[in-house]
Amino acid sequence: MTVDRESFIKSKFREFYESSSSMVEAPPSIEMREFGFLLFKDRVMVRHKGFRDVESLRSFLRQIVPLHAYYSAAYYAAPEEPMERKGWVGADLYFDIDADHIPTPCQKVHDVWVCRGCGFKGRGTPPERCPLCSQRRFEEKTWPCEVCLEAAKRETMKLVDILLKDFGFSQDEIKVSFSGHRGYHVHIEKDEIKDLDSAARKEIVDYITGTGLDAKFHGLEAAGEGSRVLVGPHLGDSGWRGRIARGVYDLLLKADGEHLEELGLRRNVVKTIVENREVIIRSWESGGPWGLIRGVGLESWKAIIRKGVEAQAAKIDTVVTTDIHRLIRLENTLHGKTGLLKVGFPTDKIEDFDPFKDAVAFKRGEVTVFIEEAPEFRIWEETYGPFKGEKAELPVAAALLLLCKGMAEVAQ
Amino acid sequence: MNLVLTKSDWAKYPFVPEATEYIKTLGLKVDSLSRPEFEPILDRAEGRVKEALLTNPPKVSYLEHNEEVELSSFPVAVVIAAATADDFIKKRYALAEARRAYDLLRREDKWKVLEVAKAFGWRVNVVTDEASAPRGYQLKLHFVDFLRNVKAFHESNWKLINRVMLGGEVYLTTYEAARLLQEEIRRHIEAKLRIDVRPILPPNVAQMVEELRLIRRRRFGKVYTEEIRFPKEAVVEAFPPCIRNLYEAAASGSHLSHAGRFALTSFLLNAGMPPSKIVDLFRSSSDFNERMTRYQVEHIAGLRGSRTRYTPYACDTLRTHGLCPGEENLCRGLRHPLTYYRRKLRMKAASKRSRPADQV
Repeated sequence: MTVDRESFIKSKFREFYESSSSMVEAPPSIEMREFGFLLFKDRVMVRHKGFRDVESLRSFLRQIVPLHAYYSAAYYAAPEEPMERKGWVGADLYFDIDADHIPTPCQKVHDVWVCRGCGFKGRGTPPERCPLCSQRRFEEKTWPCEVCLEAAKRETMKLVDILLKDFGFSQDEIKVSFSGHRGYHVHIEKDEIKDLDSAARKEIVDYITGTGLDAKFHGLEAAGEGSRVLVGPHLGDSGWRGRIARGVYDLLLKADGEHLEELGLRRNVVKTIVENREVIIRSWESGGPWGLIRGVGLESWKAIIRKGVEAQAAKIDTVVTTDIHRLIRLENTLHGKTGLLKVGFPTDKIEDFDPFKDAVAFKRGEVTVFIEEAPEFRIWEETYGPFKGEKAELPVAAALLLLCKGMAEVAQ
Repeated sequence: MNLVLTKSDWAKYPFVPEATEYIKTLGLKVDSLSRPEFEPILDRAEGRVKEALLTNPPKVSYLEHNEEVELSSFPVAVVIAAATADDFIKKRYALAEARRAYDLLRREDKWKVLEVAKAFGWRVNVVTDEASAPRGYQLKLHFVDFLRNVKAFHESNWKLINRVMLGGEVYLTTYEAARLLQEEIRRHIEAKLRIDVRPILPPNVAQMVEELRLIRRRRFGKVYTEEIRFPKEAVVEAFPPCIRNLYEAAASGSHLSHAGRFALTSFLLNAGMPPSKIVDLFRSSSDFNERMTRYQVEHIAGLRGSRTRYTPYACDTLRTHGLCPGEENLCRGLRHPLTYYRRKLRMKAASKRSRPADQV
């Protein structure tokens, strides 16, 4: 017999907010922010809440015990009014990096879909139609795996690098946090960016994702008037020039013939590149390979650059940054899909941050659960699973992860 | 090196704060404009607004040899343009003054452009180490000031991604900085024109205002914005490739991102498809919820909430959200999927008309 899963999760969340709501801090100008909470009961969203100070926010959290807690990146004159009467005064600049947007090979291993028509199950991304009953409706279960989170972290580091070097923000101005599930948030609260409108933020997004980049504005050009020899950016150049060069360097270093052909390069060009790899690599010591390879002209270089840029760009969620009314998860609150915390950490500690250690909220106690199916995972130094149709006594944090994910039930 | 703007600079750029301060000391008041000693100023002020209406593209001239009048006629012209209470005149006048300033700025050196830019609070610096800096640039501007003024430009060389930016500063040539300043000046003057001065105008000025309104009516008539009329039934074959992809995905029940749904819905509404048909389109989606879908479609249609009907994403925004599948021939030079749709419909209509009768 199983105790109700949901009431167990809620009791743990309540314990957390009763003991640790003081960890929740007020975002700057708390009185101008809108707050939103997803409740356990009927999954109702309570929005348009406002708080005058952090203490009333904390006591509200203790009282309602939400499954998810959010606040607006935006500042409003009247945050509790309906949207059209709130009076937008500005918004922090937010970036969201979610493993969902980054293809990793392990998604096929741990992500599960279930057909809503017949219950047929599969792994990876769901197909067009269910192979069994041809319906198109699926339930998808993703998993916050280490490989995916590591991939998200790499993207976050690329983003932070662009914000530091190109946009000139300082380490302290860039706030990085783990979302509590499958990604990272990066945000900036500086006054000067607050009144940027959606169009301006879109330009920032395009800069970070490399959208609309034209290499001719970054130094790829004819060596001289009428010349058919090309020159281009160098590895040590700053900004996108350097990124273009480094992206192309990596690509030409690693890509095999098949990958190069996929870029639309002619077969003889691909052959030249593959056969002259050494020469190409050495060419970076002087002017780079731009004028070096016969048959690789401006258009071919543009195709190669496009691919190189893709690798250098940071894969952010374009909608989050351009949406100036977005609700963002509140730091030091629990994520209802994992029971992990959204936690912030210093920008220069990003490499050492370990979500399965630093975001663990529940540090004491064990609970026995019946696990339907779960991949292998780690909490602190300990590894658990994989499980299939079995009972196990797990630390509360590990058990909560499975319970929140709907992969286990509490056993009694 | 730090130059101060001189009086002859004020005559060229009479909207900078120092010039405004100076003009205040002249004791020029709206109700004193009928006094004969102000006649030359009043004449030139009227001339400025007139030039804005009579030139195309609109541009106010610069009368080099009469600095005092050139300078003090500007605030008077602003009063006159504002008094017309006509948005068309106001916009056109602001643009004409901004184009005047651009024309003058283009001929200045980087130091002067720097000073004018600073007068608008721009965080801007001269590129000092030209040897190590990217070549050809004289000024560097904080990216926020750049983004605020670049909105009206659609050429790819103005996109932030195609600029050299280091440490938050966008590198610019003096020309480019002048062009961006034109935008700042235009907005600055437009904001100044949001005053209502009609009740205090002396009769001679009120008469001038009436004449200007007459010129505007004679020359431009009532300005009609082109009413976009699409056929009652949406013509799927005329959809641009981005919308066609989204449409087919929705019809086949495949998953669409939030941005994708918005792009499709707002396009279809603007192409004249009724909300109920759009709701039906999403019916085969895996997470279809009739109540929620209806609410969202009606919200985008402006039937709920803020009551504003959303305009569909432009090409640029579709690219940002990864919804542009790449240009088709007909996409070239276009900035909006609705323009593609309109053009394709027109082409279809034309090819129908030109078909010989025996083939119909």
